[in-house]
Amino acid sequence: MDIGGLLNELLLEDKVMIHFDFMNGFFDINKSVVVTWGVMAVLTLFLLWLTSGMKVHNISTKQLVAEAIVDGLRGITGGMLGEEGIAYRDYMAVVLVFIGASNLVGLFGLTPATMDLNVTVALALMSIVLVEGAGIHHKGVRGWLKSFTAPLWLITPINILEIAIKPLSLCMRLFGNIIGATVIMELLKMAVPVIVPAAFSIYFDIFDGLIQAYVFVFLSSLYIKEAIE
Amino acid sequence: MDLTALGAAIAAFTGIGAGIGIGIATAKAVDAVARQPEADGKIMKLLILGCALAEATAIYGFVVAIMIKFA
Repeated sequence: MDIGGLLNELLLEDKVMIHFDFMNGFFDINKSVVVTWGVMAVLTLFLLWLTSGMKVHNISTKQLVAEAIVDGLRGITGGMLGEEGIAYRDYMAVVLVFIGASNLVGLFGLTPATMDLNVTVALALMSIVLVEGAGIHHKGVRGWLKSFTAPLWLITPINILEIAIKPLSLCMRLFGNIIGATVIMELLKMAVPVIVPAAFSIYFDIFDGLIQAYVFVFLSSLYIKEAIE
Repeated sequence: MDLTALGAAIAAFTGIGAGIGIGIATAKAVDAVARQPEADGKIMKLLILGCALAEATAIYGFVVAIMIKFA
C-alpha cells in the first residue's frame, strides 16, 4: 500500500481543468470552479422546477414542499441573526445551501469544491465584507469606527486584527474539515474497499459536511449580529 | 536525518487539546440537558458553536501538518 503516493495525488494534483492561452498570458479554470458550476446548475434547475406554476389558492404538494423549505431555511438563519439582522437571512440561507451542496458532492465521487482553498477564501471574504458593510450600514461610518474601541481603547489593535482573523479562521476551518474528511475516506477506501467505507461515509461525507456548512453560516451570522448591535 | 515527519507529528498534538475541550463541552451540555430538558435547543446550538471553535485548533494543527509535509 502506497499511502504517500495516494496523499501526494490527493493534495498536489493538478487543479487546472481548462487552460486558455490569452494574448501573452493564460487563463485557467480550476476543477473546483467547474464543480461549483455543476452544483449551481443542479440547484438552479431544481429550484426552477420547484417554483414553477405557483398559485395563491389550491396549492399543489410541490408548492407546499417549496414553502416548507423556504420557511425552514429562513427559520434557521433568522434565528441566528436575531430581530435586527433579519434582512441578511436570505443571503445566509443561500450560503448554507451552497456550502452544504458543495460538501455533499463527495458522495458522488467528485472532489468537493470546498476542498480548494480558493473557494473557501472567496466565501470567507464575502462574509467579512458583509459583516463590515452591515456594521457601517447600521451604525454609520463614525459609529463603525467607534466600535473598534468598543469595550476599552486599549484593545483597539486586537479589534483591528480581528478583521483579518475572522475570515482566516472561517476559511481554514471549512477547508481543513473537508480535506481531512476526504483524506480519511481515501485512506479507508484503500485499506478496506468494501462495506466499511459506506458506514464511515455517513459521518464524514454527510454529517460532517452539513455540520460545517451550518457552522460557517452560524459564525458569519454571529459576526453580523455582533457588528450591528 | 529528515525531521519533517517529526514536525508534522508534533503539529498533530493539537488534537489532544481539541479532544479534551470538546469532551468537557459535551459533558457540560449533557449535564445541562439533564437538568433542564426543555432548553435542549439552545444548549445544542451553543454546544455546536463551542465544538466548532474547539475543533478549529485541531484543524489548524492538521493544516499545518499537511503544509509541513507537502508544501
